Amino acid sequence: MSTPRFRRTRRDPLDVPLRVTFPFWVIGSVLLVLFPLYLIFMVSFAPGSAVFGERPQLVVTNFTLQWWQEAFKSAGLIPPLVKSLVVASVTTLLAILIAAPAAYVISRLRPAIRYTIVIGLLVTRMFPEFAIGISVATRFAKLGLLDDYLGLILAHLIGSLPFIAWILVGTFETIPIDLEEAAQIDGASRLGTLIRVVFPIAAGGIAVASLFVWLYSWNEFLYARLLTTNQLTLPLKVFQTIDRGTTQQLATVAAILTLPILLVVYFLQRYLRPGALTGAVKG
Amino acid sequence: MIGRAARGQPRSVAWVRRHTFEIVLILPLVAYITVLTIAPIIDTFRLSFSAPNAGFGTFDSYQAIFKDTVFRHAVVNTIIVALLSLVLEVGVGLAIALTLHVKFVGRGFVRTVMLVPLGVPTIVSGAVMLLIFARAGYMNSILGLFAGLIDRIPGIDFKWTNVSWTAAGGWRTLFTIAIADMWKVLPIMTLIFLAGLQSIPEDVYEAADVDGATKWQRFTRVTLPLLIPFFTMALILRAIDAFRIFELALVLGTEPVLGTYISGRYRPPANDPFTSAAASIILFGIIMLFIIMYLKFVARFQVQR
Repeated sequence: MSTPRFRRTRRDPLDVPLRVTFPFWVIGSVLLVLFPLYLIFMVSFAPGSAVFGERPQLVVTNFTLQWWQEAFKSAGLIPPLVKSLVVASVTTLLAILIAAPAAYVISRLRPAIRYTIVIGLLVTRMFPEFAIGISVATRFAKLGLLDDYLGLILAHLIGSLPFIAWILVGTFETIPIDLEEAAQIDGASRLGTLIRVVFPIAAGGIAVASLFVWLYSWNEFLYARLLTTNQLTLPLKVFQTIDRGTTQQLATVAAILTLPILLVVYFLQRYLRPGALTGAVKG
Repeated sequence: MIGRAARGQPRSVAWVRRHTFEIVLILPLVAYITVLTIAPIIDTFRLSFSAPNAGFGTFDSYQAIFKDTVFRHAVVNTIIVALLSLVLEVGVGLAIALTLHVKFVGRGFVRTVMLVPLGVPTIVSGAVMLLIFARAGYMNSILGLFAGLIDRIPGIDFKWTNVSWTAAGGWRTLFTIAIADMWKVLPIMTLIFLAGLQSIPEDVYEAADVDGATKWQRFTRVTLPLLIPFFTMALILRAIDAFRIFELALVLGTEPVLGTYISGRYRPPANDPFTSAAASIILFGIIMLFIIMYLKFVARFQVQR
């Protein structure tokens, strides 16, 4: 009774409204985020009758696998799926091979030069993709790189290299230089130090960066559209289905494009800490 | 230095020898960016100052697009969509981050759910919004459902007539595009603001409590000012993409934005890389202008405090 009160327990005018609205706000925002996803999957299993009419049904009770079977049999989904998979994977591999060694060197430069380079990398992103893409597409057309895996991989590297280099500079900066010196005293070569000491420590950062590059390439639409006439990628296939397909065909292609990424993001979300994106800025 | 000069070796050669390892590692990236980023940008600048029959050094392409009403319409639309989606994204992103910063039962689950749109391709988010906002779409279904409930109340006669959000054009289409963009980038905005909230030390709030601050005062006088660097990061990161909006505008309705205008000029039937290049330089100018204006605004705001 007589214990001194250090903290005020004064009532705040916002206490009651906040406490009452909080659950509704949380449930509302969860529904807002999940509803579009629910729609894609629900419609992809819906029979034709469910999406017709002025007011399509919000809940479907009689499911059908028709659209998924059709998508893989007749809708010509396999070639776009293969193209998207191959392009995304090769782009990721090349992006790491080109950007990781360079990012290591940049991270070991004097701070003034390092920040100039990092900001320079970001400035290239301020240019509209079209400002790069139009010139690239005109040249690739002359070189016969349209409708070609290589052409699209080269284009996707344009978009991903500055970004991945930026993330990796942030990762390498956190690795103390003493470790390298210790390895070299033990007789390791500089290349050996890099491969056996520095890269393994940076593996986590490299994994997150690879994930971003893979997602970027898998989703990329603008370069794909500029560089393609008939050998579609999955995003282009979605666009084509918007134009020509039925609602269920659209939902099914969209679901096929989304499903692998949802799984990837779900399993890797513990790495997506708030600091993952901002760390590189603060250095 | 004397040693090297004595051996008759220029200083630059010696520098290269000493740093061969670093140069070999960094060379592929430098070469790639030079050939496939910097050169194309210069090329596009050159294209924009050229015309099919006038050669280099002409403003024909710029004059042509400024005379084009579709282009002027696209510029206005781009600015409206970008500002609208930035306001929505910052507002809702901050609200969700504030929510996730509070401890409550099921927070881990809600946090996971909020990250989900990160894995949804932009073109898919456009396709879904098409399902939702089309005339016979799910938005009208939901609104019709609510209208039906209100209609059941005796004495009130209320019917919902279907509205086409996408095909109608005008502000409805622009609003739909902004909503689609917001849904897609909410995870990134939430993560940035969550990082900001976690960076504010607890004792600042304790000091505010001792001074008798209300919750609202804590929010406006402590939280918001300390979040300014994170606002800057979020806004600059998003503004670049918001002005470049392309897929969503292409899919949702027929309102032109600069992205679709540039693409339309380049593709058949126009087949005109010159005006297309000029329009993309204008888009770059708008992005730079926005960022410079924002940074000046923030600088003034911080001095005033």
